[in-house]
Amino acid sequence: MGWKFDNPLYSLADEEENKRNLALWEEEKYGGLWEGNNRLPYPLTYLIGLVILTAFLITMPIWGQRPTVALYAPMVDLMDSPEVQRMKSPEEKMAYLTQRAMEVMEASDDSRLPGLLERHPIGWYDLQLIADQVREIQSAGGPHGLDEYNIVGDQVQLSNYEGNVRPDGVRERKQPWWDRGFTIDVFYVSYFCLAMVLVCKRLPHFSQKPDMSKATT
Amino acid sequence: MMKYLFAKNEDIPAGTASIYFGFSSIWWFVIGTGLGSFNAAKLAFPDFVTGTELFAFGHMRQVHVLAVIVGWISMAFGMTMMYMTPALGKTKLWSEKLGIWTALLWNVGLSLGLILLWMGITSGREYSDLIWPIDLVVIFGVLVPLGINVWMTIAQRRTQGIYITNWFFGACIFMVTITILVGQSAEIFNLTGLTEAYLTFWHAHNLLGLWITPVAAAIAYYVIPKLTGNPLYSHRIGHLHFWAIIAFYSTPASHHLLSAPLPEWLKSFASVEGVLILIPAIAFVANILLTLKGRWSMFVENVEIKFSVTGVLLAIPLNMQGGFQQTRAINWYVHGTGWIVAHAHLALLGMSSFLEAAAVYFGLQSAMRRKLYSLALANFHYWFFIIGFCTYWITMTIAGLIQGAGKIYEVPYIDVVIAEHPYMIGRWVGGTMVFTGNMVWLYNMYMTAREGTVVPKGRYAHELAYER
Repeated sequence: MGWKFDNPLYSLADEEENKRNLALWEEEKYGGLWEGNNRLPYPLTYLIGLVILTAFLITMPIWGQRPTVALYAPMVDLMDSPEVQRMKSPEEKMAYLTQRAMEVMEASDDSRLPGLLERHPIGWYDLQLIADQVREIQSAGGPHGLDEYNIVGDQVQLSNYEGNVRPDGVRERKQPWWDRGFTIDVFYVSYFCLAMVLVCKRLPHFSQKPDMSKATT
Repeated sequence: MMKYLFAKNEDIPAGTASIYFGFSSIWWFVIGTGLGSFNAAKLAFPDFVTGTELFAFGHMRQVHVLAVIVGWISMAFGMTMMYMTPALGKTKLWSEKLGIWTALLWNVGLSLGLILLWMGITSGREYSDLIWPIDLVVIFGVLVPLGINVWMTIAQRRTQGIYITNWFFGACIFMVTITILVGQSAEIFNLTGLTEAYLTFWHAHNLLGLWITPVAAAIAYYVIPKLTGNPLYSHRIGHLHFWAIIAFYSTPASHHLLSAPLPEWLKSFASVEGVLILIPAIAFVANILLTLKGRWSMFVENVEIKFSVTGVLLAIPLNMQGGFQQTRAINWYVHGTGWIVAHAHLALLGMSSFLEAAAVYFGLQSAMRRKLYSLALANFHYWFFIIGFCTYWITMTIAGLIQGAGKIYEVPYIDVVIAEHPYMIGRWVGGTMVFTGNMVWLYNMYMTAREGTVVPKGRYAHELAYER
């Protein structure tokens, strides 16, 4: 089994091995069946490429879509204001606060924020649960901003992600825009494609077709 | 058939085990779809058979599911392995006697397991409902002996190469054994919570991905070239199909648990892998349909080709649905609705069962060396099967969309039940048509065994089936 690397995309097997394979396919019938050596038609090859691309893109909207506490900070700032105090029902208060927070998000440079807020609404009582913790983080002036905190149950917690170390030595805990599952998939699919190229290129090139008229029963 | 249980292996005619498996599979198909029809009637007409615990839906559903998966589908696989593996290696089955004993143990074990399930003795875990002692019988009394027979037959083949069908047979028996062993570990080791849920659906998904779908595909790789006389379009696409199944079908189990507190990275990984299931599907469908080149008229004339090509064509919507319904956005809408029931039936009753029916028709005629008793009844079976299946699939898909809308827009539950009632009746009508067709099939094959014209030496049954 010799490997040939001078034209790897044509065939990785030497000509002698390719001839042996073709001869075997021409002569050997498996209980009345025999096999051709055609390639996957070009349109279907492109379709497979499209499937791989789609597989990643179709779930892309979840990339970086985890809500951080920063989304709710404008609401915390306003929740004790006189106009909110005057409103009677929690629903009324939240409708107002959400609208004001949405204005802040829409004015932001990050175009994902309005959608994030829309998909991750918060209720009045939940807002009360996190409000003091948000204020404490803001007043402490620590190394981490609110966009590095998540809500876990009734607690405001640093995102559970071991990120890069900043130049000042602080470990960045913000959720990245990418996802470990996708990263694993990138490698997994790459390895698969590589393995398939090796497997297929060990066969005779698809332009070399066995002559089935030689086949014996 | 029983007389061969204690005969010497060399005294048992070739194909005996295959015939035993074949008739058993049809019998279980009749039982499985009969139970399905009964269960569908209970969902369509809530007053149908009430007051008896044994006939409650909760008792009957698992019996239906396992009668179909372990009885019909898996015994049809056993049948195909008993006749295709030796034919592809130009040799005899390693042991007809072991094959007959395997089929007997399979029938006894399954009957026992289903009776226990019916009585309410269950592990309570979906798709692995049998209690673990029965699972051990399935593994060591059925799958391992089946595997030994197949692997040894491949090992003693008289061809230099191994045909694609036998790659799948050999690998899938190994993988399904591991799947069941690992899948049952939650019960054996008393695991609970998320670990149990994950293992349950790892088992359920891999039963489909590493057993039912690939072995059904392996059948098409045999039946289509054999009956059309064309060579398989491509050995190299076969490689792509096989290795893509191994790589992508074994990984996305957690797409069943997208709403569970599994690690997010695992759910993202599973979603992407799930869409990539389309790669083996494209390779498989392309390879088979291109093999049919110049022989498409057989799709109309030949019953086995009709069944198998229908199965292959159904693989297209099956994999399109499967790939996309597990992405988070679509899963959010269809999870827990009749859409999923429709999709599961598209896999098992659609793609897979049509291919197995083709293989059982062809295999029984070949093994018994008898011409099909009635082509008209076979065509009746086909049309009742396809119309019944489509009725089921379409009505359940619509019912699923109604349920999804009801869930998202918080429509009162009783209003959703009223809205989907006509579709539940449609489900029952479709399922009952499939059941009726299967009874006709059982009769047709029984009469083929009794009164079918004997095929003369030197001719194949499938060559004569359409001569009148």
